[in-house]
Amino acid sequence: MEELIRIDRLTKVYERGEVLAVNDISFTVKRGEFLVLIGLSGSGKSTLLRCINRLIEPTAGQIVFDGIDVTKASARQLRQLRRRMAMIFQQFNLVKRSSVLTNVLSGRLGYVNPGASAIHKFPKEDLESAFANLERVGIPEQAYKRADELSGGQQQRVGIARALMQRPDLLMADEPVSALDPATAHSVMQYLEQMNQEDGVTVIASLHFLSLARRYGTRILALKDGEIVFEGLPAEIDAAKFKEIYGEEAEEVEVR
Amino acid sequence: MKRPKKSKSASHSPWVRLAALRPRFSAFMLDWASWGFIAYGVMYLLNKYWYIRHVNFYGRLTLPGWGWPVVIIATFELALLSHAFSQSIGLSLFGLRLFGPEYAPVPFRRRLARFVALHVGLVLQPLALFGDRPLGSLVHDSDKTGRMLLVAKVKDDLPAEKPRKWYTTYRGLFLAGLLALTFWLGWKITTINLQMLVERIGKSGHIWKDLFTPRFTYLTEPVIPGRTFSLVHYMLETIFMAFFATVTGAIVAFPLSFLGARNIMGFNAFGWLIYSVMRTLFNALRSIESILMAVLFAVWVGFGNPFAGALALFLHTIAALAKLYSEQVEAVDPGPLEAIATTGARRWQVVAYGVIPQIIPSYLAFTLYRWDINIRMATIIALVGGGGIGTLLFYFKNEVGRLDDAWNQVGAVVVAIVVVVWALDYISARVREKIG
Repeated sequence: MEELIRIDRLTKVYERGEVLAVNDISFTVKRGEFLVLIGLSGSGKSTLLRCINRLIEPTAGQIVFDGIDVTKASARQLRQLRRRMAMIFQQFNLVKRSSVLTNVLSGRLGYVNPGASAIHKFPKEDLESAFANLERVGIPEQAYKRADELSGGQQQRVGIARALMQRPDLLMADEPVSALDPATAHSVMQYLEQMNQEDGVTVIASLHFLSLARRYGTRILALKDGEIVFEGLPAEIDAAKFKEIYGEEAEEVEVR
Repeated sequence: MKRPKKSKSASHSPWVRLAALRPRFSAFMLDWASWGFIAYGVMYLLNKYWYIRHVNFYGRLTLPGWGWPVVIIATFELALLSHAFSQSIGLSLFGLRLFGPEYAPVPFRRRLARFVALHVGLVLQPLALFGDRPLGSLVHDSDKTGRMLLVAKVKDDLPAEKPRKWYTTYRGLFLAGLLALTFWLGWKITTINLQMLVERIGKSGHIWKDLFTPRFTYLTEPVIPGRTFSLVHYMLETIFMAFFATVTGAIVAFPLSFLGARNIMGFNAFGWLIYSVMRTLFNALRSIESILMAVLFAVWVGFGNPFAGALALFLHTIAALAKLYSEQVEAVDPGPLEAIATTGARRWQVVAYGVIPQIIPSYLAFTLYRWDINIRMATIIALVGGGGIGTLLFYFKNEVGRLDDAWNQVGAVVVAIVVVVWALDYISARVREKIG
């Protein structure tokens, strides 16, 4: 398979040099993969994901997305790159006081005529695809509600619909199900799986639970203190590997 | 010997008088600087001590953020105190007295030393006190990056820092002492005299009586036909003056508020520059009370013209609202902004879709609140010719002695003001409740 992202010696040191969040990481992601990042809180998963679309500026290293160096991209190039890299978040990051429809439509902001977007005017086909995507994630009837009136699971589905609006090549999911109950978590993960398998979107998801990672991931990357401690297939993680990643006292919890 | 020439030749020119103040001013600054050096030395040693003892455990190198302001205030107060006792402690300490005994002129050598100490001190102090990284790090802590990384690595395994009661820490005791000192100084400076308050209670007795028996003679009748208006007319003038100032001020403040918000302007040098300029502008404009601005506008557009008051309130409203607004912008949830930026949106689109929906309710609340303030301000802005109900208030107050019922008329105006302010306060509070 063709490679979509190559990350080369990526390092992120937080301001004042006090925290080394990502330490000299290199790996590649192939097109169509479902890569799962695992690791404890603070192991650098979120920072790594945010470096890829430069929500966080990397300190050193190189990120190549589909042959384009993200780290050297100009503001304009970066916007064009970001259109192809959608992201969903642990806290959903919807604009709470805006309607669900506006939240979903904001996924098109990188594409539409900026002048028209200033008066909240979107092309007809964008409106249609917004409803289609809401239909796809199973909440078409919620379109005109305010985003904060929805339950957590529904909000995350709005987040997925917003990501779908971008028609991305890559979907980054930053602990997408950590704030959800196990049943909802699975339904959200299944939407990601569907995007991955049906639309051919490459997915990088960070997850807390190893059981979820095993169930959905085609490949697993484990981080600890900003460094890669494991890279391989889900089945390769045994008890010893688990202890290495999560520490000696950790017990594996199953999410069904 | 004689006093120096400057203070002897008491001219009327303000510049000459200002020049005469210069030695005293420089003495004070030198005193402050000297205390600053002492304080800085102490802080430097404390830092060193802290570094040696604690850095390996808590990763703390220098004073916390509030430390330096405290040092500045403390040294200022020490300088003030030593001046209050006519004892320039800082000067004697450095052997830099301004005059010899009996105002004998100081030898050149000493004057040179004084000059150098003052000027070097004035440059060094802000550097040492305000110069956070990278300038400041040259002055105090030396080790910033290398070792800190190691510290951060093992930070998680460290024993928890046990919190202590404030009165068991030097910092707490120091702050408490500083507070007491400030209060005592304030008491002395404002010449608070409770005895006088009790002794002279009878002086204002009849005024109270008259004020509480208001006479509404001119409720709808003009006071001087052809030249002035009625109470109701002036009241409407006041309300609309405040209304105009609030609405136009809010409209101007809205776009400005984004320029004064850190998270919108970004963290590069250019953004920082605009942010600082805007914030400085807001603060400068805000610190000039609208009544002072009205002095200017009353001359400009005509004394007693409500337009003058409206302009003054308008300007002040811009500054005040822009500051409040931009603080709201800074307090928005950054998550949605992150999400919208991820879609490839331009920065202003992130503002339009991510920031504005979040801030609208608090903007409305602040605008209403500002209207309250403007109404209250508009009632007295006539003091300097800004128009509105205050025109009547000060007219009748000046007629005391010529008019028998002047205080009763003042009472009527006061009652009108109280009723209107209270009513609008109530309405805006209710509306704000609805929004929130």
